[in-house]
Amino acid sequence: MSTVNERIDGIVGEFAELEPRERLELLLEFAQKLAPLAERYRAERDAGLNRVHECQTPVFLWVENDGGGVKIIADVAPEAPTVKGFVSILADLYHGAEAAEVVAAPADIVQRLGLTESLGMVRMRGLQAISQYIRRRVAESIAS
Amino acid sequence: MPKEYAHPEVLVSTDWVAEHHADPNVRVVESDEDVLLYQMGHVPSAVKIDWHTDLQDQVVRDYIDKQRFAALCSSKGISNDTTVVFYGDKNNWWACYAFWVFKLYGHKDCRLMNGGRKRWEADGREWSREPEPNYPRTNYVAGDPDLSIRAFQSEVLKHQKQGRPLVDVRSPGEFTGELLHMADYPQEGALRGGHIPGACNVPWSRSVNEDGTFKSPKELEKLYAGEAGLKRRAPVIAYCRIGERSSHTWFVLQYLLGFPKVKNYDGSWTEWGNTVGVPIEKGPGPKTTDLAVSNSAPVPAESTS
Repeated sequence: MSTVNERIDGIVGEFAELEPRERLELLLEFAQKLAPLAERYRAERDAGLNRVHECQTPVFLWVENDGGGVKIIADVAPEAPTVKGFVSILADLYHGAEAAEVVAAPADIVQRLGLTESLGMVRMRGLQAISQYIRRRVAESIAS
Repeated sequence: MPKEYAHPEVLVSTDWVAEHHADPNVRVVESDEDVLLYQMGHVPSAVKIDWHTDLQDQVVRDYIDKQRFAALCSSKGISNDTTVVFYGDKNNWWACYAFWVFKLYGHKDCRLMNGGRKRWEADGREWSREPEPNYPRTNYVAGDPDLSIRAFQSEVLKHQKQGRPLVDVRSPGEFTGELLHMADYPQEGALRGGHIPGACNVPWSRSVNEDGTFKSPKELEKLYAGEAGLKRRAPVIAYCRIGERSSHTWFVLQYLLGFPKVKNYDGSWTEWGNTVGVPIEKGPGPKTTDLAVSNSAPVPAESTS
């Protein structure tokens, strides 16, 4: 299985080959690829649990780490495809990896996807916040 | 209490847009917070204008200049006499922001689709997934910036020292400065939390209904003139964090309630909360019911400088 670092380099390379406009299309594809929230998480979501309160748009995240490596489960409102696409990328990157590997991986994925020009600082900051939130939750999963 | 909005013609319904979106004299413009939403489906015939890539200068913190504004309009097939109808996500925040920029450069006929994307969706209307249409270019001529709707920081400082009304349209947590910031993420993008001393806090969201449409004239009057104590003829400045939510309140005060002197302070908290030496107040501030009194009170003491 590829390492998280190799996967990051892979996705960064994939974005780098594209024009800014095409990068947005690729991000949209990732948004559409994010699996719908499985039945067993819906009750928690509907009760408002696991919501990322720092996001203005409804984003719900679960980080699992029970032997099979890290698994990120997410539910992002359809009206926030940019956030959804980015969460989908992170979920792919970290899937099945060791938590320690995720925490040690570079934290600047957002910047390296080459989206700054299209998104601007305000949106970038929002994505960076989600990235940090996920890394923190993964780190906590080691401690617990 | 008014029965009708002050400028009802500025607000159009989803019905109206469904009927007129393809009229050659009408251009529907989608402006969203989320940069991908337009591609996922938009009102048929609509073009996309992005607040960041299209309306803001990429080097200086400012809007595009009038030449670039004219070029933008031309590229979207907008003439000086086109009726431009804005709509978008987030209860039309960015639609109001784009509307405001169009007014800054003197575009005459701007309208807002009441309820934005949310209402269009709730009405079960058609979403087009066609690529953005290419309209013939125009010879658009932009006016000089209309500074009667834009406040710069120096002016806000003067306004504040004179005890004139300011509306902070952020959430109560942002207003009091108590909002908890997550690690690695100063959410405000500012070094200090709180609000401009003397400002009243009327979160923008209080002006809209659940379906994204604006509240009735009576309810808006009660909120801004009643509860917040704003005087119709007094100059008012609205601000938020980066000037988008306050464009929404600017729209409400200027077009729905007909306040004649309303400015948007687009520098907002990301400028004020980062500026050395400007006065800041923390906590709930003056109770809104006391606001009428505080407006006529002597110059408020500076709290931090």
